[in-house]
Amino acid sequence: MLASIVAALNRSFRHWSLLPAVLLFVLLTVYPMVNLLRLSVSTVEFAEGRAQWSFTPTRNVALLASDSVLPAAVLNTSIFVVVAVAAEVTLGLLLALLVGRLDRGKGLVRTVMILPILVPPVAIGSMWKLMYNYDFGMFNQAMVALGMSPVNWLGSTSLALLSVILVDIWHWVPFAFLILFAAVEGIPVDVIEAARIDGASSWQIARRVMIPLLKPALAITLIFRGILAFKTFDEVYLLTSGGPGTSTELVSLHLYKVFFEQNLLGYGAVLSLLLIGIIVATLLTSRRAVTARSNA
Amino acid sequence: MKQTLRAAAAFAVVALLTALSAQAQQPFADVGKQPAITILVNSSPWYSGFEKTVELYEQQTGNKVKLDTTPYGGMLEKARNAVRGDKSPYDLVNLDTQWTIEFYEGGFLTPLKEIDPTFDLPKEVLTYGDSGYWNAAKRWRTASGGKLMAWSPNGNVDLFLYRADLLKAAGFAPPKTWEDVLASCAKLQDPPRSYGAVIRGERGNGIRFEWMYFMQGKGATVVKDAESGDYTVTINSPQAKAALDLFIEVAKRCGPPNAGALGQGDVIQLLATGKAAQAMVVSAAWSNFDDPAKSVVVGKIMAVPVPAPVGGKAPAVLGNWNMAVPKNIADAQKKAALAFSRWFLTAGAQRAYAEAGAIPVRSDTYQSDLASTPKYRWMPAYLEMQKYASQELGYAEGAQVEQILGLRLNQALIGEMSSAKALNAAGREIEEVFRKSGRRTGALSALPE
Repeated sequence: MLASIVAALNRSFRHWSLLPAVLLFVLLTVYPMVNLLRLSVSTVEFAEGRAQWSFTPTRNVALLASDSVLPAAVLNTSIFVVVAVAAEVTLGLLLALLVGRLDRGKGLVRTVMILPILVPPVAIGSMWKLMYNYDFGMFNQAMVALGMSPVNWLGSTSLALLSVILVDIWHWVPFAFLILFAAVEGIPVDVIEAARIDGASSWQIARRVMIPLLKPALAITLIFRGILAFKTFDEVYLLTSGGPGTSTELVSLHLYKVFFEQNLLGYGAVLSLLLIGIIVATLLTSRRAVTARSNA
Repeated sequence: MKQTLRAAAAFAVVALLTALSAQAQQPFADVGKQPAITILVNSSPWYSGFEKTVELYEQQTGNKVKLDTTPYGGMLEKARNAVRGDKSPYDLVNLDTQWTIEFYEGGFLTPLKEIDPTFDLPKEVLTYGDSGYWNAAKRWRTASGGKLMAWSPNGNVDLFLYRADLLKAAGFAPPKTWEDVLASCAKLQDPPRSYGAVIRGERGNGIRFEWMYFMQGKGATVVKDAESGDYTVTINSPQAKAALDLFIEVAKRCGPPNAGALGQGDVIQLLATGKAAQAMVVSAAWSNFDDPAKSVVVGKIMAVPVPAPVGGKAPAVLGNWNMAVPKNIADAQKKAALAFSRWFLTAGAQRAYAEAGAIPVRSDTYQSDLASTPKYRWMPAYLEMQKYASQELGYAEGAQVEQILGLRLNQALIGEMSSAKALNAAGREIEEVFRKSGRRTGALSALPE
């Protein structure tokens, strides 16, 4: 009898051994998500020194309709993600291809390139805010020295988002470069040699041989950067706080204001779920697109 | 024998009176030995003065104080986490005036008289629109029927600072009205080399706070009578529109092209570097301008109360901080926090506080010999403004109303919408906020757009 129980336990050990990992997953991922869902259908008020929850399933969702800042935030976030990620991946790819052709100094270039990623976002925001300063910033001082008029980098509705995107590009091109450079280095030399022997030019080798081989790395870079770009907060918070007007309001910044400044916890949870939904939808769509192209 | 007794009694009375008088004139309070306390305090421009005064407290009393110095952006969340948990790591939390209502209504703080029924604010201590009192029945901050919940370590109002040398050279007297400011700007404005006057215009608290000086000056209000429970939204009145038009005119005609992005740091920087001739700046920033390490205009800046529009009211919007004792700490810690509070509010401590570069919170400090010395030449303007200073947005929905106003005013300033359209939009949105929270509300008819 005992032997059969021990044998059964042994047989199911591979399942039981997963328990710690499952518990950790539930604790760290499932519980916060369930709590977020619960918060999104609740109103939380504080009285008598404690939180008082009430079940208001439609109230927070109804707030979505009357939120006049949200449409601008969604539009700005979409522009931000598309422009910033496209520029970062393109520049990262170009740099990776260029550096890949170097005979010497690749290690040095890679080390120098990694520096912007190491700088904390708070320092990046402060540094670029100083550089963009209308009266004292280095960009405008250089322009005035060259006889041009100073530019209202962060105070103009038509330029502010672009200025923020430029900072993000500076920050994250090295990330794209690092992933793509590793992939470039991994391309078998004989494939390129064979193409060259067949008479392909450098451009043709890059376009017809290297880029197709880099597709998996490109997909990974796009997906990673896409996810991170959707969540951009620190840079825009420090540079513009969403202004002027709503020209640089991003969903994550709006979410912060709703959650922490207006203290609307339930509505903040709804916005969080919306942001998660947008990211997941974008991921699935882009994965499908990448898979379709690969199959084609 | 009788004579001896009488003489002894007389001696005792005289001795007691002398002792009481000496006690009354003591510049510092003797608070005895207390356990160490921790204070959550913001790293605002007045912080170094606070830190030095705390050091003096430690030297005088031997009691220890630990300061958790936090940038403004992190203060609210630290304070919330502290009071909502089982046990607060802080014995005193410093709260911006806009946040106090959330903490008062939430029941997270200890009324100061519950710690010591004899505790009261000295009559010289400025109460900044009674922001430290909470009347739970009225849901309003007032000493009338309200409990004392907090005291102010800092009371900001804006001061209007100007370059005495430039105005004199241009033939202008210190401004009393915005029309005076516009007149001087016409002569002093030379962008991008120099600006006539600079005002915060960035979206959010900055523009909301500064614009309210214009709003008060024109006699406009956000709501009809919040203290009496009438939350009819009046932000889109003709007076409010006139206030917004005047604000935009001053910001654009006197300031830089990025007026809609100017924050506190920018305004201070423009004045301290000599690029701006005049500015509206919070009083706590004064020490920047007389510090040779930070300023090229040392001794050249003078202060007057913020101007009013011609024929308008003298404005003063309060932006003070409130030091409060959390509910979730031990009684001994509450007593120690109150002991520090008692000491900090004495005349001696407040003088030391002023000398350390902070903004004192006792009226007698402003009436002392300090006010007549050049270093403290901002004091008369500050004290004058306290006569009519008032709190704005003193209701639970204040943070949401600030977000709405901060956006719509900024959109009007940068030209994204007309002033009438911006105020109509703000009016609709604010009314919606009050309606959802169950207030008695309504709206004015829309301004013609």
